[in-house]
Amino acid sequence: MPVLTLQRSYKYIMYATKQPSLRIDQADLKCKNGCGYYGNADWEGYCSKCFRNHMDQERQKKSRQSQPEHSRAQVSGFSKFEEKKRQQTDKKNKYLKSLPVFRKSSSAKDSGRPEKYIDMRQANPDADKLMAEFISTYGEWGEYVRKDFFKCVQAFTTKILSELDAKPIEDLAEIAQNYYNLYSNRLNNNQVYQGITSEVGDELLDFFERYAMVSLYSHGFSFFAHHPQTTREKDLTIQGRIRKLSWVNAHHLDCCISETSIEVRDLVYTAINDLLGMDSMKAPQEKLSCVVRCCRSVVKVLQHCQGGPVSADEFLPALIFVVLKANPARLKSNILYVTRFCNDLRLMQGEAGYYFTNLCCAVSFIENLTAESLNMPEQEFQSYMSGEVTCVSAWESALVACEGMHQLCEHLALLKGLSEKTAVVRDGTEKLKEDMQKLKDEISLKVAQVLERTPLIIKPRRIPIPLTRENITISPIPAIPKIKDENLQETTPEMREIENIPHNYYLQNLSMLQLNLLDSTKNKLQLDITPCLTEKDVVQVQASQSAEFLSPSQHDNKSIDSLTPDDNSYLGLSKINYDIDFSDISADNSIAEELTPDKRKSPTPSFTTPDPFSPIGASCNIMQSPLVPLSSPIPMPIETKPLKRDDFVLPFLESMPKQTAEETLLDKLEETSIISLPSPIKPFTSEYTGFSKQGSQIPSIPCNTGDFSSLNLSQSSLPSTSKENIDH
Amino acid sequence: MARDYDHLFKLLIIGDSGVGKSSLLLRFSDNTFTGSYITTIGVDFKIKTIHINGQKVKLQIWDTAGQERFRTITSTYYRGTHGVIVVYDVTNGESFANVKRWLHEIEQNCDLVNKVLVGNKNDTPERKVVLTEDAQRFADTMNIQLFETSAKDNINVEEMFMAITRLVLRSKLEMMERQSVTHNDTVNLKQKNKPGKKNKCC
Repeated sequence: MPVLTLQRSYKYIMYATKQPSLRIDQADLKCKNGCGYYGNADWEGYCSKCFRNHMDQERQKKSRQSQPEHSRAQVSGFSKFEEKKRQQTDKKNKYLKSLPVFRKSSSAKDSGRPEKYIDMRQANPDADKLMAEFISTYGEWGEYVRKDFFKCVQAFTTKILSELDAKPIEDLAEIAQNYYNLYSNRLNNNQVYQGITSEVGDELLDFFERYAMVSLYSHGFSFFAHHPQTTREKDLTIQGRIRKLSWVNAHHLDCCISETSIEVRDLVYTAINDLLGMDSMKAPQEKLSCVVRCCRSVVKVLQHCQGGPVSADEFLPALIFVVLKANPARLKSNILYVTRFCNDLRLMQGEAGYYFTNLCCAVSFIENLTAESLNMPEQEFQSYMSGEVTCVSAWESALVACEGMHQLCEHLALLKGLSEKTAVVRDGTEKLKEDMQKLKDEISLKVAQVLERTPLIIKPRRIPIPLTRENITISPIPAIPKIKDENLQETTPEMREIENIPHNYYLQNLSMLQLNLLDSTKNKLQLDITPCLTEKDVVQVQASQSAEFLSPSQHDNKSIDSLTPDDNSYLGLSKINYDIDFSDISADNSIAEELTPDKRKSPTPSFTTPDPFSPIGASCNIMQSPLVPLSSPIPMPIETKPLKRDDFVLPFLESMPKQTAEETLLDKLEETSIISLPSPIKPFTSEYTGFSKQGSQIPSIPCNTGDFSSLNLSQSSLPSTSKENIDH
Repeated sequence: MARDYDHLFKLLIIGDSGVGKSSLLLRFSDNTFTGSYITTIGVDFKIKTIHINGQKVKLQIWDTAGQERFRTITSTYYRGTHGVIVVYDVTNGESFANVKRWLHEIEQNCDLVNKVLVGNKNDTPERKVVLTEDAQRFADTMNIQLFETSAKDNINVEEMFMAITRLVLRSKLEMMERQSVTHNDTVNLKQKNKPGKKNKCC
């Protein structure tokens, strides 16, 4: 039972298996002669023995042909065949004649063997190169190895050349293989090669083959010319077929080559190039190495595409694809040449053997390619083959796409380069900007410094005495503050009481001023203060402000920073004063400075002047600035500054004799500070005192700076006024 | 010239596509011994040296394409082959059914060659379709040694390769003995049988 079931299962297995599509009948494989042995397509369907007989007959016929054309005996059975063969040989002769290389060898053949032998020794660049290579590579193994090697090669080549015309190419191949074997045995057994390792031995064997074949080749021994006509026809056939199959793409072959990838495309190109290079190589070994290179590229392609180890299941389709796209010239001839004259050992073993076998498989697949083997309906296949339907070849389109991609990549690279350049330029500009900014800052700083310095010099020069006088005359406002200043001492305590006074007071103040300058000084002070600060704790603010004022003022009269706050707080004042300043001083950076001093200084002179002018000046100023007076009242702190500012302000004050004014102010300040703001002011006062001391002497200094003229001029007038004020 | 090996054998792995031929090869050549194999080539071509009975045996194993469409053209692979490993997938009944065809293929291409039958992917019992008994029975009738392996889990892989190598080595030694008796001087076409060390099975 088990046996039966097993048989059934076998049957099942047998039926389950599809019959291979290309299976050839046994009868097809037999020798044409019917001798019972298997035939071979390469032997025109004969078995080896019959083929050899047949070839001998051919040769005899050929020799007879060279005599009278029609004299050849015609055996009925062979007549057709002979006819065909004759045509072939004719073609062959033509072909040979067309090859200059071969003509040379044929001439050599005529003249006999000795000449050939000499030929072998004649200049032969390729062989010479190889000999040099041999000596450089294997020279270390000694003289004997070299001698033996060349002896064997010589024997081999001479043998081949002697048999060249007498025997068909199969026999020559056999001879070659015999020699390879002989040399291989020699390598293994001969004493000469005892010290050589197996690797070097293999290399030597390869080299033996290479050297022999190259020297034969360069001597005009073209194996292709010896190929039977059928082979050449096959070359053309398969080339035509591949051309017809140009529509086959990777998808049809189920191979995972991604045709659009640039790297893959490049690798495929290198593979194709290597395969095409096979035809130009001389020695079978070299052809073989082309195949190996090509296949390695294919493996790389696959590794790239699927990212892992490659198996034969994927490799073979990919190789077929490459062969289809390469469509190498004389493919069949080259393969036959390699199979015949390459050392058989190499073809059955090793990497080269494996890849060459795969190539043979690929070629035979292409030869036998049917619709079924591409998994497509017969009709579709036929329509493709006949050219009815032109498949938009993915390969072609991929090439276009790749071209586009390639350009895109190039452009991207270009853009990248450009962007880098622009970045550099941008950095450069940034730096330049910075530098410029720095330069600007430096320049502005220097300019500022210069300006700070120069105004002193310029002011006096620009402001002639008449201007100052104008000021004096024009500025009733300053007079008012002075009044206040003087009053301050007295009024400060009262300030708090009168803090909240509406703006209308200005008018009142003004009127007051106009009316009773001397009597209403206290009220005026109050009025002045209120508009400026409007806040109730004016005193405190003033104190703080005073502090600010003082510190900068002490350090630098010119410092704008210290001034700006003043400006803010006394905006109105500043403007008003500014106007005044303008009139007084042509151009002054420090408005606040000027302002404050104006107020302080103005007060002193104003005192005297105001009386007469105040009404007028007040009226003028009142409209614009009731603030002016306000600013002036602040004086408590401001007054401290004035000392220093006096230097600057002096021009404004013109009329005021600084020394006297300062002194007076200082005195007042000290008093006021003690009264209203004891602690903060004290330090100032102390410093002040120093300054005041200096201040007393200062006049000389500011005068030196340039105010002198005006000061001097003004002094004369001012002191009187101040004194007057004080008196008042 | 001294050779660094005593024997050089060429083995062929055949079987349907996807049964794990390449994986077996990879597992064997990469996992064990100090095999020299050409890293640049990938899986397709590997050489490995193993020691059997104190003799250095160099193995080169050729992977083949198993697709149906390539079946008719793979005959070239068989040239000079010493041993063939026929692989099927124990989780795939069809691949086992095709074993028969593969064996037929071998018969057509080689006169005398050592074979082993290998059921690969034997690592997930619940997915196993081809029972060991059936496979064993079949192997016995064909007079082939059966191995069930898993390239994934490295089960039985090395044993299988060692077994085929031993078979090949034995038949080679037998052949050498025979040849030493009958000295063959004539050279056949294509040099299929060469005197001396390099004896090919076909």
